[in-house]
Amino acid sequence: MREKGLGISEMAKDRLFLLLLIVPAFAVLLFTIGIPIVKSIYMSFFDVTLLRMKVQPWNDFANYAGIFKDGEFFNALRVTLTYVLCIVSIQFVLGLFLALLLNSNIRFKKLFRTLILIPWIVPTIVSALLWMWLFQPQYGLVNYVLQELNLINAPKNWLTNLDLALPAVIVTALWRQLPFMSIMLLAGMQGISEDMYEAARIDGANRTQTLLHITLPMLKNNIKTVTLISIIENFKMFPLFWIMTGGGPLDKTTTLAIYSYKTAFVQLDLGKGAAIGALWLIIMILISSLYNKLFSIGEEDESGRGKRRVKSKSVKQKIAA
Amino acid sequence: MLSQNQSNKKLLPNLGQYAGLLLFLLFLIFPLYWMLVTSFKDNSVLFKIPPEWVPSQPTITHYVKLLSDNIFLVYYKNSLVVSASTTLITLLFAMFAGYGFSRFHFKFKNFLMFSILSTQMLPVVSLLIALYAMYKSYGLLNTQFGLILALTTASLPFSIWMIKVFFDGIPVALEEAAKIDGCSRFGILFRIIFPLSKPGIFSVGIYTFILSWDDLLYSLTLINKDHLRTLNPGISVRYMGEVSYDWANIMTVCLTATVPIVILFLFFQKYMVAGLTAGAVKG
Repeated sequence: MREKGLGISEMAKDRLFLLLLIVPAFAVLLFTIGIPIVKSIYMSFFDVTLLRMKVQPWNDFANYAGIFKDGEFFNALRVTLTYVLCIVSIQFVLGLFLALLLNSNIRFKKLFRTLILIPWIVPTIVSALLWMWLFQPQYGLVNYVLQELNLINAPKNWLTNLDLALPAVIVTALWRQLPFMSIMLLAGMQGISEDMYEAARIDGANRTQTLLHITLPMLKNNIKTVTLISIIENFKMFPLFWIMTGGGPLDKTTTLAIYSYKTAFVQLDLGKGAAIGALWLIIMILISSLYNKLFSIGEEDESGRGKRRVKSKSVKQKIAA
Repeated sequence: MLSQNQSNKKLLPNLGQYAGLLLFLLFLIFPLYWMLVTSFKDNSVLFKIPPEWVPSQPTITHYVKLLSDNIFLVYYKNSLVVSASTTLITLLFAMFAGYGFSRFHFKFKNFLMFSILSTQMLPVVSLLIALYAMYKSYGLLNTQFGLILALTTASLPFSIWMIKVFFDGIPVALEEAAKIDGCSRFGILFRIIFPLSKPGIFSVGIYTFILSWDDLLYSLTLINKDHLRTLNPGISVRYMGEVSYDWANIMTVCLTATVPIVILFLFFQKYMVAGLTAGAVKG
């Protein structure tokens, strides 16, 4: 009101400025995400193919009926969940282990940290091709090394074997994703005050106890974020499967991403592809809300942690005094 | 004295630590070495068992062949153009929006922030199906602009979030001082905030570049003219589905697709790790 003379108040100017700031980002997000997702759900109720996109007759939920009739959707869902569960849990355990190693007092820490991060920037398609060469049945290094170590007695057809194709893809995904996971966990660990470990040492806690009662609880938020990122990314994983197996053998590695892509852009049935996407969306919402519930169970610990933090502060003050 | 005592006690477990680290390094780094070595092997040496760990007669024929392949150079150029443009546009929009979210309080702010981030969960194929139909009617199919736009929104949500965290760390007092000195709002943004958050801008920029360089799904779907293709779909269309793979050749392609991004990473490494971890720790 003070600036009545200027025509527009400072407050209104602030509003306008804020609008100018956030509108460009929202406009593009709306155009390439907002509108498409609504349109895609809408399309899932119609008979749309890539060849005939102008006329879109309503087809009485035939897309959804078709999905539930052939068992492919449930197969794809099962493969996706198996893949996500395996890759995230293996990655988390190994990533934690690697982060603990990098957080201990070893030499050349920085060099190691840089080196292990490199696979993470290698393009996914390159990691797929590289591991296809390593898994190559006759001349691949994996078969050679495993035979030399007497772990297997005959070369395996990794990517065309019904039981080995998915594990082979998981190893490749692990190779590319482990660096990110462990660097994120390491960053969290470096944020934990040395006093806490000191106090634990004085109390006579061993390594496992320190890990379980200090490191992991303190990392909780960190763990939640990185595992959630990993779950989301792997749920969407397309290039590894598309390049390495194409969904085969016998749909053993057909994930939701592969199934919906094939339906929409290989069989050219956009309506059915959109319907698969809509079901996938519902599943994703369920999983993320479940995930939030899971992490809020241990929330009452929070107060205890607060106390501990205060304690460590007072220890610090004592030392300073 | 205490620390000396500790280091003596830790000598033995330390050996185990180095051994563990070595195993991890072997798993993470050796495949990259193998890619490098394979690309310098002649096809006659390639299929030797036991394999040649170090090529006895390194050859550069695969590189010569690859670089004389014109279409490959086109893919390469397209990838650079698309990734660089995506990075610039994402940075501009993310910096503006991130600043808005960091400095202003408004209705539905948390809700908006949350919905931006939750777009990351959407099935990409759903988006692509509708986007394909939309692009077709607007004539954006088979244009680099269309691809750049789609890739921008793929990396924008996380970029806004990361850069907001960076801006949060810059004291508001600086802006107030500038305001008193008569600096305009955009002046504050460009002359004070952006220069101060260079590390954040670098890390978001590299994150976006890596993400768009890595894309396969968008570029495979939205572009099907060979001279407009980027590297990843180019590789997948030209080298996949053959009866027998020319592995040395493929490893050469892989290496050339990896080197620019690794150089970029080693150059800006310190910013990137700081930026990514700041985002995740505070989130």
